[in-house]
Amino acid sequence: MSAFWYYVFTLVFVMFDYFILAMGLNIQYGETGILNFAYIGFVALGAYVTGASSMPSSAGTGQQYIMGWSVPFPFNLVLGGAAASLLAVFVAVVALRRLRTDYLAVVLISFSLVFYDITNNYVPLFNGADGLYNVPEPLAGLFKLTTNSFVPVFAIVTGLIALIMWWAMSRITNSPLGRTFRAIRDDDGVAAALGKGVFRYQLTSMLIGAFYAGVGGGLLVQFGGSFNTTSWLPAETFVVFAVIIVGGVGNNIGLLVGSLLVETLLIHLPAFLPDIPGHPGLIQYIDTMVVGVLLWVMLWFRPQGVVPERTRKTPLSLLQGLKSDRVVNSEVPAMSMSDGAGVIEEGGVRD
Amino acid sequence: MPALLAENVTAGYGRTPIINDISLSVEQGTVTTIIGPNGAGKSTFAKTLVGILRASTGRIMVEDLDITRMPGHLIPRNGLVYVPQNDNVFKSLTVRENLEVGGFAAKGDTVARMEEILSVFTDLNKAREKRAGFLSGGQQNLLAIARALMVEPKVIVLDEPTAGLSPAYTDVVWNQIERIAKTGTGVLVVEQNVERALKHADFVHIFVAGSNHVHGLASEIASLDLPAIFLGRAEAK
Repeated sequence: MSAFWYYVFTLVFVMFDYFILAMGLNIQYGETGILNFAYIGFVALGAYVTGASSMPSSAGTGQQYIMGWSVPFPFNLVLGGAAASLLAVFVAVVALRRLRTDYLAVVLISFSLVFYDITNNYVPLFNGADGLYNVPEPLAGLFKLTTNSFVPVFAIVTGLIALIMWWAMSRITNSPLGRTFRAIRDDDGVAAALGKGVFRYQLTSMLIGAFYAGVGGGLLVQFGGSFNTTSWLPAETFVVFAVIIVGGVGNNIGLLVGSLLVETLLIHLPAFLPDIPGHPGLIQYIDTMVVGVLLWVMLWFRPQGVVPERTRKTPLSLLQGLKSDRVVNSEVPAMSMSDGAGVIEEGGVRD
Repeated sequence: MPALLAENVTAGYGRTPIINDISLSVEQGTVTTIIGPNGAGKSTFAKTLVGILRASTGRIMVEDLDITRMPGHLIPRNGLVYVPQNDNVFKSLTVRENLEVGGFAAKGDTVARMEEILSVFTDLNKAREKRAGFLSGGQQNLLAIARALMVEPKVIVLDEPTAGLSPAYTDVVWNQIERIAKTGTGVLVVEQNVERALKHADFVHIFVAGSNHVHGLASEIASLDLPAIFLGRAEAK
């Protein structure tokens, strides 16, 4: 396979992987309104657990890590996702139950910093700054893949996984559960007044989002073959935020567009370009700045993103329950709210 | 049996009581209003009824069920719903979705119930697929009330449902409140507009400085020296 196609499939992998990561953050932030600035910590844990569980015992490898169970693909991915969800329970119970919006965001940033410090320094568990290496390439043995042929195969497999996870996420966001998430995002106080257990729903959202984070992280570590602690800097969370803000908060298709525009074309594609003579590494700095400027521009001129959130229609089958035995207001004639007060038009009258 | 009964309720924020020893009942099929000057504890009392704030003393009953210590999210499904004063709809959701969210705790057929309510709130019916954020303030208030009706409540507590509305819409909202009461639901309205409260309510309570200072039939209250009561210069009865 030529270098060109190698790069293309690498970019395809990145697009689908960040699509998965963006779906995870989107259900937390875009659907439920949880400003999870510790998101990359969940990605990192999923990556580590996926990698460490798929590796053989650490004895004689020169590395220190837990598990070493040689768990095959894709079960190791599920383990990574489950581990991230478990961490989400802890974070939610500690931070989400009592804190709201900006306070929660500050605490989650601090969580992210703590996660990073632990992974970077605690050698017995995470092998410190050395991280993990020689993480097995999934399916390589089964299909007798070479280093070159692994890239397109795994990019396609990641695409299939992203498709399955997109289908599952669409089912969630179009269900009454997803509608309740959005109600809580709009106003958690009103949702509580209507009898919603707000924390329970926020916890559910955190669990689902963290699972996606863990799976996305697991795919990354298997694609690259290593777990490098510097990949999980707290600032990486903001790249995923950029993906969903540019693509379209609350819209799964927008997330794919955001992943393509931000992570694939702006961040990863320039990494394959030759350096500017006399300025090694300058392109990478420029593309980071471009992402920042793009974020400003989008928030200023098109905060709804390239593909805005659409209204959804919950399937009738999910709404129908038992038959009501009480008739309310049936004896009173209907009355127009617009009597003397104008009619409802999109973007129209406001008192 | 009253639809809602509050006995000797004291509550506040932290350790500071805002309302003291308040008793009040709402009968089925009636409109009861709470009026009073700013800072009298009207909204605090409403929030205490629905579990947003906890009563430090006293008892709150919905018919024969004691809800005083009940977790807030369980109260609506036991018959008491609350419509907050401002920002009381989910603005990014459509009218239909707002009603569906309200019907989540309902025991009956959600679709049938929604159609029933939309047949009364006709303009909401026309706008059922529009986002609530695009409705006018009055329409949003009506949507919040309609959404509260989705759980077929025994009592509905409305916190200043006409605040900031034009006179035309104030009439519309009050007419709907009266219609709700006619179906047998008890309605408790926290209201700033004394004239409207006296015109539309069956019973009126005047809160002053955290206590239920005066209460009685609306016709009786209308004959009192209300400015003096609001300023705390008249005796309670």
